[in-house]
This record gives sequence, C-alpha cells and structure tokens, in this order.
Amino acid sequence: MPGTARRTLTPAVECARPVPLRPAWLEGSLALRQISDDIALPLSARPGAGWFVCIAVSLTALAVGVACVTYQIATGIGTWGLNKSVGWAFDITNFVFWIGIGHAGTLISAILLLFRQHWRMSINRSAEAMTIFAVLCAALFPLIHMGRPWLAFWMMPYPNSRGPLWVNFRSPLVWDVFAINTYLIVSLVFWYFGMLPDFATLRDRAGAGGKKRIYGLLSLGWDGSQRTWSRYETACLLLAGLATPLVISVHSIVSMDFATSILPGWHATIFPPYFVAGAVYSGFGMVMLLLIITRRVMHLQRYITLAHLDRMAKITLLTGSLVAFSYASEWFMAWYGGNADERFVFVNRATGRYAWAFWTMVACNVVIPQCLWLRRVRTSPAALLPIAILINVGMWFERFVIIVTSLHRSYLPSSWVMYYPTSIEIGTLVGSFGLFFTCFLLFIRLLPMIATWEIKGLAAAQARGRS
Amino acid sequence: MTSAPRHFLVATFSNEDALRAAAREVRDRGCRIHDVYTPYPVHGMDELIGIRHSRLPVATLVGGLAGCATALAMQFYMAVFDWPLNVGGKPANSTLAFVPITFELTVLCAGLVTAAAFLTRSGLVPGASTVPFADGTTEDLFALVLRSRDVTIDVAEAGRLLLESGAAQVVLKDVSR
Amino acid sequence: MSPMTKDATVYWKSLEELRAERHDSSSRRDEFVEPLPWKRTTGARAFQASTPPADPAVDGASRRDFLALMGFSLGAAACSRGTTQHALPFVTAPEDLTPGVPNWYATTCGGCSASCSVLVKTRDGRPIKIEGNREAPLFGGGTCAVGQATVLSLYDGQRLRQPLWRGAPASWQEVDEKIESQLRTTGAAQGRITLLSATITSPSTRDIIARWSRRYAGFRHVVYEPVSYAAIRRAHQTLFKRAVLPHYRFDNAALIVGLEADFLGAWLSPVEFTAQYARRRRPGRSMAHHVQFESTLSLTGANADVRHAVSPSAIGHLAMALLDRVSSADREPFAADMSLALAASELDALADRLLRHRGESLVVCGVQDVEVQTVVTRLNHVLGNIGHTLELSPCSFQKQGDDEEVATLVEQMQRGDIQALILYGVNPAYDYPNQQAFLRGLERVALSVSFADRVDETASHVHAVCPDHHYLEAWGDAEPVTGSFSLIQPTIAPLFETRAAQDSLLKWLGEAQDFHAYLRSYWQRNVFPLQTGRRNFEEFWDGVLQAGFLNAPVPVAATAALSGPVVATARRARDGQPRELRVGTADRFELHAYETVALRDGRHANNPWLQELPDPIAKVTWGRGLAIAPAVADRLDLQDGDVVTVTGGGVRVELPIWRQPGQPSTTVSIALGYGRTGAGPVGNGVGTNAWRFLGHGADGLLGLHPTVVALEKTGRFAPLAATQTHHSMEGRPLVREATLEEFLTDPGAGREAPEALPSLWAEHEPGSHTWGLTIDLSSCTGCSACVVACQAENNVPVVGKEEVARGREMHWIRVDRYYQGPASSPDVVFQPVMCQHCANAPCETVCPVLATVHSSDGINEQIYNRCVGTRYCENNCPYKVRRFNWFTYANNPRFDFNMNSPLGTMVLNPDVVVRSRGVMEKCSLCIQRIQAGKVAARQSGDSIADGQIQTACQQACPAKAIVFGDMQDPGSQAARFRQSPRHYHLLADLGTRPGVGYLTKIRNREARTR
Repeated sequence: MPGTARRTLTPAVECARPVPLRPAWLEGSLALRQISDDIALPLSARPGAGWFVCIAVSLTALAVGVACVTYQIATGIGTWGLNKSVGWAFDITNFVFWIGIGHAGTLISAILLLFRQHWRMSINRSAEAMTIFAVLCAALFPLIHMGRPWLAFWMMPYPNSRGPLWVNFRSPLVWDVFAINTYLIVSLVFWYFGMLPDFATLRDRAGAGGKKRIYGLLSLGWDGSQRTWSRYETACLLLAGLATPLVISVHSIVSMDFATSILPGWHATIFPPYFVAGAVYSGFGMVMLLLIITRRVMHLQRYITLAHLDRMAKITLLTGSLVAFSYASEWFMAWYGGNADERFVFVNRATGRYAWAFWTMVACNVVIPQCLWLRRVRTSPAALLPIAILINVGMWFERFVIIVTSLHRSYLPSSWVMYYPTSIEIGTLVGSFGLFFTCFLLFIRLLPMIATWEIKGLAAAQARGRS
Repeated sequence: MTSAPRHFLVATFSNEDALRAAAREVRDRGCRIHDVYTPYPVHGMDELIGIRHSRLPVATLVGGLAGCATALAMQFYMAVFDWPLNVGGKPANSTLAFVPITFELTVLCAGLVTAAAFLTRSGLVPGASTVPFADGTTEDLFALVLRSRDVTIDVAEAGRLLLESGAAQVVLKDVSR
Repeated sequence: MSPMTKDATVYWKSLEELRAERHDSSSRRDEFVEPLPWKRTTGARAFQASTPPADPAVDGASRRDFLALMGFSLGAAACSRGTTQHALPFVTAPEDLTPGVPNWYATTCGGCSASCSVLVKTRDGRPIKIEGNREAPLFGGGTCAVGQATVLSLYDGQRLRQPLWRGAPASWQEVDEKIESQLRTTGAAQGRITLLSATITSPSTRDIIARWSRRYAGFRHVVYEPVSYAAIRRAHQTLFKRAVLPHYRFDNAALIVGLEADFLGAWLSPVEFTAQYARRRRPGRSMAHHVQFESTLSLTGANADVRHAVSPSAIGHLAMALLDRVSSADREPFAADMSLALAASELDALADRLLRHRGESLVVCGVQDVEVQTVVTRLNHVLGNIGHTLELSPCSFQKQGDDEEVATLVEQMQRGDIQALILYGVNPAYDYPNQQAFLRGLERVALSVSFADRVDETASHVHAVCPDHHYLEAWGDAEPVTGSFSLIQPTIAPLFETRAAQDSLLKWLGEAQDFHAYLRSYWQRNVFPLQTGRRNFEEFWDGVLQAGFLNAPVPVAATAALSGPVVATARRARDGQPRELRVGTADRFELHAYETVALRDGRHANNPWLQELPDPIAKVTWGRGLAIAPAVADRLDLQDGDVVTVTGGGVRVELPIWRQPGQPSTTVSIALGYGRTGAGPVGNGVGTNAWRFLGHGADGLLGLHPTVVALEKTGRFAPLAATQTHHSMEGRPLVREATLEEFLTDPGAGREAPEALPSLWAEHEPGSHTWGLTIDLSSCTGCSACVVACQAENNVPVVGKEEVARGREMHWIRVDRYYQGPASSPDVVFQPVMCQHCANAPCETVCPVLATVHSSDGINEQIYNRCVGTRYCENNCPYKVRRFNWFTYANNPRFDFNMNSPLGTMVLNPDVVVRSRGVMEKCSLCIQRIQAGKVAARQSGDSIADGQIQTACQQACPAKAIVFGDMQDPGSQAARFRQSPRHYHLLADLGTRPGVGYLTKIRNREARTR
C-alpha cells in the first residue's frame, strides 16, 4: 500500500500525507466535532429498544450461568457428565473457545497497528473490549472445573507453610495461569491507553458535575500536548510490539495443555500454530458478529463500513484456510506417523460415536468459509452474520472433538466410555455467553466504542485526500 | 518554577495545515515554540518544537530483562534449590519447561514498566488538574503556544505574524502556577 | 517408634511420668502425659466412634504422632470437611490392645458353607479386614470376594437389635419363655418339631442338634440348600452305598473336564479349588489341561483351555458319550442324535486324552440330576480317579442339602403336621421355588422361630425372630472336610442384643451350659483325642485357637467298591431328556440358572461391596441381565437393557437382556441370588428373583430341571450398569499369551514386548527400596477377590448404580476382561489393572500443584489434601486407573451406603484417609502396609523380609497371581518374576517405565487360528 516505503512510525503519519487513501474508511466527509458527537452520543442518549432487548436476553443467560455454577460448586463436579476416562469436556472446551475469541482483538489492535492497517481504527476499540471480556469468560472455566475451586490460589507459587511447597513448573496448567493473567493485564493496559485521549475529549465536552469529574479522573489530566502525543505513540507502538508475541504465545501455551500430553489425538507438535490460526479465525468470526449487530443498533454505519467487513472477511478466509490445512496435516501425520493408536483415534473421530461433532466442525470450519471467496458475500452483512455464527459453532466443536473424542477412546479399550453433557454444563456455557454479551452491551453504553482521536486523524487525512 | 505569573501567546487554528504553516513561520523568526495542543497527533511537529526522540524503548528493555531474570530465578530457586521433587522422573532442573513462564513474565514486566514510564514521564496521574490554554483542543481546535519570554521579537509582532499565518485568534494568557 | 528415645537415658519430666514408670512402661515413651485423644477409641465404645484419622503410629504418642495428628487435622480440614469424632476414653485400659496396632484373630469364614480359614484384622477392637489364613493347607491362604465382604455385613444397619415376637421387639426372656412353653406342650404331645437349617459344617452344633432328637421324639433336622448338591451325594449312594460329597483334588488332576460346574467361581468351595487349580496350572510340563462344557460363560469356562458352549440338556448326553467311549466294559453305540456343539471326533480325542490320564483326570459336573451325576461318578470310577482326584474319604461336608426331606416337610407343613419349626440360616420364603406353598405351610405351624439376623422374607412371617450373632461375634467350629477342623472365635463384643443360635438351642433344651463351654467340652471329648501332638487340652485349645485350624489324621477308607446298576441309569440319562429340548427354536430357549461370583445364593444381597463388584465376566454391577447369544439378540432385535418377559415352566419374570458372548444360541441364562425384598435398602429390588424357575424334579431333587422359556420384548428399557463396555483389545498387545508348546520351546513366547525407548533424563537416585508388583496372567482367574479386598483395605467408597452407569466406579484395582475370537466361542483373558506406579509417570508431570509425585522407593504418591482436582492427571494416565471423587461419598445421604452411617463407617480402615469430594485418588500400593512393615522392621532391627509386606490384593488372591516385593532385592519373588522371560510391561512403548509388570498368559492347547 502507499507509503509503506517511507520510514514513518504510525498510520497517523500516513493520514497526514495528502495521498488519497483507497478505499475510504469513513463514509462522507466528517467534521471533527461531528465525529466526537456521533461517538459520544450513546454515552449520553437514552438507549434504544434494541439495546434493552439485547441486555435483557444477556442478563437472563448470565443468571442461568450463575445458578448452574453455584449449584455445581455446592454439590460437586459430579453434576457434570464427566467420568473415569473423560476428565475434561465442556469446561476446557469453553475455556479454549473463549481464549480463542479474545485473540482477534489483540490481532486487530496490535498486529494491524504494526502493519499500519488504517481500517483497524474504527474497530480496534470494540475488538479490544471483546478480547478482555472473552478472556474473563475463559478464565472462569479453569477455576470452576477444579474439584475444589476454593483452593484455586494454590496454582500460584506463593510462600506458604507447607515447606514451602511450590507449584509444578512443568505443568502446562501452571503455564496457563501465567499466560492468561499476563494476557489479561497487558490487554487491559493497552485498552486503557487507547482510551486516554478520548476520556480527555469527553471530559472537556461534559459540563461541570459528576460526569466531568469521572472522565477527569480517567483521563489522568490529558491535555493533548504535542510532547505527550509523540511519547504516547511510542508507548502504544511498544505495547503493540509486546502484545503481538504475547497473543501468539498465549494460545500456543493453551495448545500445550494437549500437545505435551501422551494421549493419542492430543500429542501433536502442530498444535501451537494450529490453535493460533483457529483462535484468530474464531475471533474474527466473533468480531464480525458483534460489529454487524452494533453498527446497526448504534447507527455507526459511517464508521464501520462494508469495506471493514470485507477486510475482516478476507482475514477470516485466510485463517480458515490455515485451519483447514491444519486438519489435513493432522490426518496426514496420523497416517504417515504409523502410530496405530493415533491412527485409530482419527478414524474414530470421523466414524465413531462422535462423528456428528466432527462433521459439524468440518462443515463449519472448512466448507462454510469458502463462501467468503465471493465479494458479494463479504460485503453483505446479511450474509456474513450467519457465517460468523457458524464459524463460532464450528470452532467450539473443534475443541470439543479434540478433547472428548481423544479421551473417550484412549489406550486401554477396557476404559472406553461415552460422555454425555448434563443440563448444568450446558447452562454454564450459556451463562458464559451471557457474561460476555452483558459486558459488551454495557461497554458500548459507558465507553467510547470507537477510537475518536484516531478517527479524527483519519477523517482529516481523508478530507485532505479528497480536496 | 517561579511564582511570578508567566505570559503566553496562544494562537488557535481550525486545522493542522494552518498550524503547521504558522509553526514553521514563527520558528523561522527564531522563536522557540512552547508547545502545541491538538485533538489528534499531528506529525512533523516534533522537529519544529524540538522534541527529542523518546527514550521509552530503554524502559521497555529494562523491564523485560528484569522480568526475564525474575522468572528464571524464581523457577530455579523453587524447583531446583528449595524443594526438588521427583516429578515424572524428570530432572529437577527441567529448563525447557521453564521457558513459557519466563517469556510471559518478560512480556508482563516490559509492558507494565513501559506504561508506568510513560505515565510518570508525561505527568499523567489520576486527578492531575489541567488549565488548558485554549478550550476545544481535545475537540477540534489546534493551539500553538509561545512563551513570551522565548519570543525573540516583539510580542505584538508575533501575534500579528500568527494571525497572518492563519490563526483563528491569538490571545495573551497570564498563567500563574 | 522415634529412634531418639531408644537407647537414650530416660529422664522424667513430671511426677506423673515418674509414677507412670512403675506400672506402665508404654507411657514412658509418650511425650505427652495425656495420651492423644483419638487413640482411646475402643471396641466396646467404638459404636459411637467414627473413623479415626489415618496415622501409622504404632506405639505411645511421640512428637511424631503429634505432628502426624497436626498433619491429619490439616488434611481433615481440607479432606474430610471436619467430621465430628466422638472418642470416649477407656474406663480401664484393656491389656493386649495397643491403640493403633491391629490385633489379628484366626477364625472361620461364615460367608458360605465352604468354611475357609481366615484371619481377622481388628483395630481398636473393631474387625476391619478379612484375610486368608496362609497356614491353613486346605484353602491356601486366599479368600473370595464374598469372604472379603463379610466384614461389612457385620456393620449392616439392617441387623436386628433385639429379638422379635410376632414382629414386635421383645426381651430374650419373654421370647424364651414363650418358645420354651410352646416346645414343652409340643414335646408332651409328641408333636413334630423340625429344625430347617442350611448346611451345618459345625460338628459341635450337629451334636447339639443330636441332643434335640434325643430329647424330642418328634424332632427332625432337615437341611435345606437352595442350590443343592444332593444329586452328587445320591449318585455316590447308588454306586458306592455312601451318600457323600467327594472332596475334589484339582491339584492332582492333569486333565480336568468340567460339565456345567463353575468350581472357580461359585461352585461348592471356590477358594479351595482355585488354590488347587492354580497350583496345577503353573506353566510347565505338568500344567493341567482343562476342558469345560457349559451353557453360560462362567469364570471357570473363561479359564478353560478349551470351552464348549452347549445347552444344559446336552450335558447328560456328553457325559454318557464320554462314558461310552472310555468304558470298555459296557460300551454300546452312542447315537449322536443331537447337537452336542462338537464333532464326534473331538469327543473321541477327549476320551482318549482321559484314558491317557487314568487316575490323574477329573470329571466334575454341576448338574442337579442323579442320572447325569451317576454317569459322571461312574466315569471317574472307570478312569480310576476315585481316591486320587476326588476323595470319598476324607469327604466334603460343605453342602448337605436333603431335597426330598424339604419337599416332605413342606407338604407336612401344609397339612398342618408340623407343630414347631425352627429356621436356622435359611430363607425359603425367598429362595424356595414354591414360596407360596412354604408360606401357606408356615401359617399352619403353631410355633415358628427364625435365627435370621434381619427381618428377611421368611423372618417376617414367623412368630419369633431370635437374631443370631454375625460369625465375627460368635464362637463356633467347622469341619468342611473330614478331619479338617477349624474354630470360630469372637473378634468383637456383640454389637446388638443378639444371641448365638447354638446358645438358643441349648437354652431351649434347658441346658445350663452356654455354647462356649459346650464347644470346649465337645472338642475335649471328640477332637482332642484325634490328635497326638499336644497332651494338655488347654494347651491344645489355645494352640488351635491361635492357628485357627486343626488337621486331624483321617482314617483312609478302602477304595469304594462299585455296586448298583450303571448302564440303566446311564441310558436314562441319555434318553430321559424331553424331546423338544434337542433343538433350539426361534423364540424358545432352554433356560439355565446360575449363581454369580458376587452374590451366590443372595444371602449377602444387602452388602454394597458385593452389589457393586463387577461380575468377572459380564462386568455388570447392581443386578444382572438375561444372558443371550449376541447373534440371537440381533435376530430378535434386542439391545443390552431391553426388558423381556421370560415365560416357561409356569413362571413369568421380566428382566433386561445382556448380550453375552460364548452363550449357546439355544440357551438363555438367568442369575440367581437377586430380586430380594427383605434384604435391606441396598439389596432390595436389585435384579430379578429367578428361584421360581427351579423345583423338585421327578427324583425329588431340588434344582433347575430342563425348562423351555419363551422371550417377549416389552419395549421397556432398563440399562444395566457395566464397568466395561468395550470388550475387544482392538489388536493391541495388552494381554500377551502363548500356548504351552510355544512356551516350552521359548519361555518368552508371545511376549513380543516392544523395546521401550531410552529415557531422555538421567535416572533418579533410588531409595533403599523399589517397590513393585508382578501379576501372573496365567494364574489369575479373574475372581475379583482383590477388588473387594482393596475396597475394604483402602476405604474405597461405593457409589451406586447410577454413578457406575456414568463410568464413575471408584475401585482402585479393576480386572479388565477381554474377548478374542468369534462371539459364539470367544477366548477370555483377564488382566488386573491398578496404578502402574510408572517411574516416568505422565500424571505427575501435568499436576500443577505437585499433588502427585514420585517417592524414592518407587511409589507414585497421591497427596489428597494438596489435590485441587484439575483431573489433568486422569486425562494423561494411559492406564486410566485414577479415580475422582465426583461427590462427597462419605456421610452423604445421596450415597446411602456403608459410609453414611456411624455403624457402617466402623469398617473403615483408620490407617487410610477417607477422601473428600473433589480430589483424585488411586492405588497407593497399600502404602500404609508398607509403612507398617518398615516400622515393624525398624523395631525388630532386621531388614524387611520378602513377603513380610503384602498388599491387600496380593493377600486376597487365592491363585497367588499378584506378587508384591522390593525390586532391589534380587531374591524377592517379585524381582524373580521381573527377570522371567514371560515378564512384560503394559504399554511399555510409551516409556512410562511402570513399577507393575505382567507375566504372559499360557494356554495349554494348540494355538488358535485367529
């Protein structure tokens, strides 16, 4: 794209140059004040009916989840359908699923920043928010899946009276603890940093009163001084540079929960890249889902344009192909590796009692995304919405297939069993969606869901490009 | 800082081009620009104002190294020196297994140190009060501020110069801190 | 126990201690003047006591104990959610009871009439474990699952607390008065008094009964066995004029032919026979060959080298066919007019083989049919086996059922000819085929008394219930086989107001003597003279009491002279069968009823350990299905769990079906011992009552006579809870086997062990021991005694049918059973699997909190109170031996088994923690026994001898298939097994380097073409 040759730091520089950007990432020419008006509107205006319907549904789901988790913790893991051979099922499936969702946010805000993709500007704020909420949902499951969740803090190496007895640094679960917390903290910092200038804007828009004070606190006294701006952009770049390897490491480590085990179907070196690709894939599915709905409900079509959807769809197509390739190579290795047990597990996936789950996964992750080759599909919200949903269904089933079908047919046939989920497990899954959407719906009401300052820069640049 | 009031010449512009032009103008007249306030980062100003390259990366590096060292030290101490156990027949010092946590802590510390360094260096703290030279610089105004002391030419002259080079208005502000 | 106090000069730090020095030396080593509280739990008071903490302390409290207790209380806080403990102090401390140190008593198992010699482990006065008596030659030191479980029956909440009169609680005095007055009048009127008892192997009790017949003219003693062996006794009566049950000697048999006799599982005396069988089945030139003909895949059939699935009606013909072939005397052409499921050529071969092993072959038959048994006895006689592989003197007293007598009794009762009926150890209202007739008769009996320990099906209809002691509370003796005497002694004061049946019998005779005294005098009079070793009776008595048994020399009878018509009966055996039985038609099947390994005749139905014990073959718990051949099930479109009505012989029952490989297509099989209604909350309503299919045959014998049943699908579905649902090894080399020839040429044959790859890491420095197990798959019969033994030793909870169906059984050791070959006649292999204690354990690496680590002496340790329950270890365990506490299984009404009542928890082993909800558990290699062994060795000062420490599974194994030992000690049997060319590790190619190993299974037959 134009300007990549120039030694410049940030896309803002691109915007500064009177070079017309193709395509236009904002519809029409927008006055700077209008931009903040539009973006600040939801924070002051009374929500529309659509929002209330959504939040009602989400809160109901959340309530269901709370009830299920309470009952399960009070009664025991036995309220789930697990057994002597299948020690994990819904719990870890949901965990990996949500962690994966989170990855798209970091990718958009960090990696695309490094690649100077301007189109990220309209969506990165909400994508980062999604990341944080997804990681929260994910973190829930390793906690509640423990037999004795009230002892979860034992996973942390803290000085104690047991020797002190430390944790087992060889266990991928401990790696997870560190990875997920790091991911959550860094994402939060990055997210908050992005909002600093916007808080200042809101502070100055707000008349005297509580609102002003709150935004004043949040903005940390930001005054838009040139010195701060330039330092700020350096800081953002550095954080982006850190978040990029982080996001890759997190899902790699999650995949090591399986890759480092000796279970046929888990013990595979391809898992880290395979999982990262899958994560971004499902993440973009979720971003599309959220934004297609939000731009409609919040009337932000001018900021989140069809061109944005098109770009996201393209990335989805790319990562989807990576996932499909991973499936293929997994099967190839199972055959080529010559390990009878491994081979059996894969044949069993496609033909065994859980074949329906396997084929659902293949349909959603390999077949459906092929529609995205068509531009007409990529630019039609109506078409993208169902695809986005199906992609997430498919990715959920991918984790289910990996975990359950491998466990229920392991080395000793005498221990082969079936796993059937209970209502409690399903309720918990529903609840996690409730938590996620509740958080998101509150977010779009309480915080600027689009990076105002970046859009302003973009708008100015676009204006100049037009003139 | 002295308690005596300081005089500032504040010129506001409606777009960044005018700002840039004016800045270049006063700069050529040998005036040192005190600062510029903009709703979004305007580039090419740093050299006009004379902002040196940020040393934040150094902070990041230091933080990262610190995190890495801490992680390795912690794991070696706990797993090898303090209480070695026979876990799955693996050696007490399973260095490879220590890598993931080391990486995570490296990133974590680097990130936090960077953030902290930025905030302290820019004096951004909760409750920090700001007296803006001009309202709306976080909205759609671009303000160029000269400190009268640094104005080598006559202040009135400077004001006229700014107005000529496209300032919407120029005011003389006394700020007593 | 703390070495520092051993030879140090003793200082006293308080006057109490100084005073204590004089009388109580043990308290000298105590650190605390006040003994630690939990150590005071006593047998007498233990009823109020719930389980004490796990603590390997063996003597006076030291700092160690104190710390251990602190440790436990931490554990208790995390693990057992702080169950309240009522510990009451001794009023006067009993001698010879050191808190924390088990006391062992030798006694005789009351589980069934086989009367095995056992040792009982008591802790703080409570019997908590049954172990085989290794010194007893007859039974070889093993036990069966039932024997292991009897200790739990002692703490069965259903047991009566006091006698009942007409269903209402009463005092012994009033009950005695009422009974005695009634007996007086009856006796005066020369009325008929009948004692209906189960087999009584106790000579002294028989002596008391003899007094009754002397006292009352109208007295008669009838022995009732629901599964009667009368046909065998009758056959010997016919042939040798001696109605005896032979004493079988499988260890003398080089060729065993079993006809419908499950002698390793439930037939007559399984422990004894398994020991003999295993002795003779060790791979080598003298390894016995075993052929089994049966209509239900039994444990015995599963172990046979050659097994033929035949319908029950064919058994007689087979016996006759064999007799025709071997007896030169009365040979006559045998018309193979029916499907014997095997070609005449095979029969010829078998007959020749029998002839080649004259005098060292054994044909044993379990069919309750005089003709068939006569043929079989004749067969053994012709082959010259009498006196070698089956002895008429000594003979067995283990089953004495007298069927015609029972029949007449029931008739008389219905006629009202019986004035007084005393029921001792029988439950006809449940297991007598014609229960209605019996109950009608019972109504007309003027005085009916039962010694039942609970209000069972029969006891609920009698006038007086005079609860007998549990055998662990009682005195007694037994003579299972002529000359093999053993004693029964109390191991705990009676928990309730019960009274020994013998005491009641003596009391009602007006004898002043109590049974203990009577027993002693009886032995003084009758047993003492039989032996020459000891001169003084007291000495003799104490000796026997300590040893638990006595082998008196048996006068060897002259070899039985044959007399009586054989051919005639034999021909009847061949032609007597109903015609329609000779062909299996589409929807009509022959019925076979069998006793299961776990429940036998159903008297232990309220024992949760036995209900949850997976059947060795079907692997089904909590009830059994109607066994049907898979092919037939397919034809009838029946899936496991489809409920069918079984109609035939005027009986109609409903039960789910179970597709059973190895089942003849002409036959369906139904399990006895289920369908109790008066057993108690655990056993009631489990399974279906099949006794009504039995009956008195034309010859008056009680048993299952050829019955044809029709099946009808009801459309209802009642799933059965099986612990193993996949039955093929999928071609994986899990159980490795070879034929005897292959073994003799190459001892390592069939081992085909893939070489484990070299380890990436340096070996960890081993400690002073490396404990390990080796399991001989050739000896293991799959009897599952080890499963219950482990459950008893390690406080393994019972979880109930629903949880088992969900795949959540908690057994630490399981016996995997795989089928090979065609479903019509599969090979069966058994493989006990417990934690393999891998040196490179996958479970350890993945545990985030170090809750499972490796000990220096080779044990994979599970630290319950550190476990947070991520179940990662379970997922990563290739052997799937880890068991998770999905719920709180102790003191939880939802799991209302023994762990939910103060009475039931008395069986818990104080040395083992009761695990809480949310933690992982698994085989610990009986670490508490290892610790105890170490402590004992340290006290005695010498090293631990091989065999001194035995795991529970090893101790219980009647076949001695499991061997525990120190792999560092080259002399230990375990280490020698490990050196054997037959030795291999399960899934060795994973590089887990297990501490448990297996020896290949050797079959004594030609290789089967797979």
